[in-house]
Amino acid sequence: MALLRVTAALLLVCAARLGAQGARASEAQVKAVFLFNFAQFVDWPPEAVPDSQAPLVIGILGDDPFGDFLDATVRGEHRGARPFAVRRFQRVEDITRCDILFIGRPLADRPEEILARLKNRPILTVSDADQFAERGGMIHFVTDRSRIRLQINPEPADAAHLTISSKLLRVAEVITPSGR
Amino acid sequence: MADMRAAAVATSMVLALWLVSFTQPGFAQQPDSSLSADALKKLSIEQLMNLQVTSVSKRPERLSQTASAIQVITQEDIRRAGASSLAEALRLASNLQVAQVDARQWAISARGFNSTTANKLLVLIDGRTVYTPLFSGVFWDVQEVPLADIDRIEVISGPGATLWGSNAVNGVINVITKGVKDTQGLLLTGGGGNEQRGFGTVRYGGALGSTVRAKIYGRGFGRDASALPGGAESSDDWHLWQGGFRMDWDAATANKVTLQGDLYDGRIGQASPAADIAVSGGNVMAKWSHTISETSSLAAQLYYDRTHRNIPGTFGEDLDTYDVDLQHATRLGARHDLVWGLGYRLINDRVANSAALAFLPAHVARQWFTGFVQDEIALVPNRLHLALGTKIEHNDYVGFEIQPSGRVNWRLSPSGTLWAAISRALRSPSRIDRELFAPGQPPYFLAGGPGFHSEEELAYELGFRHQRGPLALSLATFYSRYHGLRSLEQANPPAATPMVIGNGQDGESYGAELATDYRVTDRWRLRAGYTELRVHIWPNPGSTDQSRGASESHTPDRQFFLQSSVDLPADLRFDVGLRAIDDITNQQVPGYGELNAKLSWQPMPALDLSLVGQNLLHRRHVEFGAPGAARREIERGVYGAVAWRF
Repeated sequence: MALLRVTAALLLVCAARLGAQGARASEAQVKAVFLFNFAQFVDWPPEAVPDSQAPLVIGILGDDPFGDFLDATVRGEHRGARPFAVRRFQRVEDITRCDILFIGRPLADRPEEILARLKNRPILTVSDADQFAERGGMIHFVTDRSRIRLQINPEPADAAHLTISSKLLRVAEVITPSGR
Repeated sequence: MADMRAAAVATSMVLALWLVSFTQPGFAQQPDSSLSADALKKLSIEQLMNLQVTSVSKRPERLSQTASAIQVITQEDIRRAGASSLAEALRLASNLQVAQVDARQWAISARGFNSTTANKLLVLIDGRTVYTPLFSGVFWDVQEVPLADIDRIEVISGPGATLWGSNAVNGVINVITKGVKDTQGLLLTGGGGNEQRGFGTVRYGGALGSTVRAKIYGRGFGRDASALPGGAESSDDWHLWQGGFRMDWDAATANKVTLQGDLYDGRIGQASPAADIAVSGGNVMAKWSHTISETSSLAAQLYYDRTHRNIPGTFGEDLDTYDVDLQHATRLGARHDLVWGLGYRLINDRVANSAALAFLPAHVARQWFTGFVQDEIALVPNRLHLALGTKIEHNDYVGFEIQPSGRVNWRLSPSGTLWAAISRALRSPSRIDRELFAPGQPPYFLAGGPGFHSEEELAYELGFRHQRGPLALSLATFYSRYHGLRSLEQANPPAATPMVIGNGQDGESYGAELATDYRVTDRWRLRAGYTELRVHIWPNPGSTDQSRGASESHTPDRQFFLQSSVDLPADLRFDVGLRAIDDITNQQVPGYGELNAKLSWQPMPALDLSLVGQNLLHRRHVEFGAPGAARREIERGVYGAVAWRF
């Protein structure tokens, strides 16, 4: 019976303390919303936009950590006249049309080869792999003490003729591996 | 009885909780993704960056794991539960049967067949098999991985023999420690109490150049003795010192190299006049992983492990293990993911026999050659996947053996997955099955097992996994048939002795394992697990063993576990872990319920103070062992701990 009392007391304490707390979300959810937001802060070169109503494609290469959350995030949303679409790719060769690419594990553990194959294509590359920006990726999600920071490497973005808004660069840590 | 009743109430509460979550759409929708998506989309980039996020525990990547009854114990789970040893941390996986036998011994198994020499579970620490060829089991007292260094523990119940190898008959425990980059800086921990007498760890990690990081650690602890049935203190108090290192080298772009090792030395008391048990040993391991291309990778590992154990009056053992493994994963076409590997192991085992028992011959060297191949086929990419594979092994006892399995994974929706598997697994002979004689000199009462061959299992599994928003749920059901289980046979019936070890028993097991993880609010998380399990063993025609498996399996029919983790204001955290274990009938161990609790306070990010109570409900209780004066009881314990990071 002692057991039951302890359990009941615990449940009561918890219920009382935790009525309505907020300000926390799952890491994958927040990253999904970041991916969606990036579209507002990046300009693609005209040749990357087949027409003004072509979908803006967020691609996921490799394992998908978002479940259906990314789909839910972009459902019904537009950038200008362009609706959003989410596509999943197993291999780099499968990537046809894509504007923002999240590189998931396990491929992201060794991003160099993937990035080499995407080089100069107008695709915003994003990953949470270690030192992604330093290794030639464009945006790296760094999870630090339960918060997500952004590291941005503008060089590959410049090379791919993507323009990243200064508003985004201001809140991010800018990485310049070549030291320019 | 009261405990079991309370456990039943608690069980029904939790079952009600998750049943409700399915039947009432409102309840399940409340934390629905689209709702939170809208809320999150209203936030600015700065606000998103200020948001506290919770990471989902790492999920296994291979289908062979996802299509299996896997539970993952994370570093956070271990820390929050206040576990003080690896064995104790394993209580957090409800698909394991974990019983503390005395101050240092544990009986740990999955899907039954538990004993202090349980032999159907494979345990790996960073890929190194911690297994004694003496009885195909684990000496848990020398597997003292520093808990703060563990990244996660993957616990797979059910056969994993195809990928992991022999012994993975009923389960695999895969302990994965953190890489050096996650253990940088200085960590000091220390504490003590009445059962955990005193413990301390020093760990330092730093960078040696831009691509090499290294860490070293040292630790020591003393633990109080368990109690005798009358409550008097027994004499198995003990202490252990351990130190180790790890170096990670991120060489070039496609190569990763890890070098790691440990050394330990400990003493465990025995009842006088016997002298203390001495244990010591160490290991050193090198690993190399190489990315050949985006779809192809190679991994190799090499280790040497040495253990010494001297139990005065019983036996002594010196064991050297040399092991090398190679694994290659590659994609073939659009639909096939192929993994294959080769392995070789050499053991050199020297036993010092006593008057009580003898392993004959005392000194053996044995070799294992293994190979495996598995193909994961995307029948419908991202929806329906099939994995077919087999292990091929050659050992000195029985020659070639094959252990095939087929697994299918069907993703019903983004949140729900159904899986099924059929596997054949073998428990190959160990020294105890073939070479154990008692007493140490003729005439023998027990005269080895010259004809003992592998025990065979055929397992059928069906499971369901669901993850949506804050709720994760996994249900695994299984039925297994066993052939040729170990038995004790009269060598010349009707003469009662000598006896020899044979394969005279068959058996079956079936049951269900349910595990749930529910984030009730952002600050309150509940994990619950419930396992129902039956093991039946019977003699084959011609066998003279009438024990019906009484020496092979000591397993409760059901167990329940509940862990509540609450983040309180003022940087306080409060955790309670409840477990209720049914009786072990063939050992007359009564059912019991026990409670652990931990209160911790983190006044600043670098400092963590905690108070932990273990087995709080009873002054002492029995978890395992045949009734009698030698059975040990586990006492209530309280300890305080401090952790400081620089």
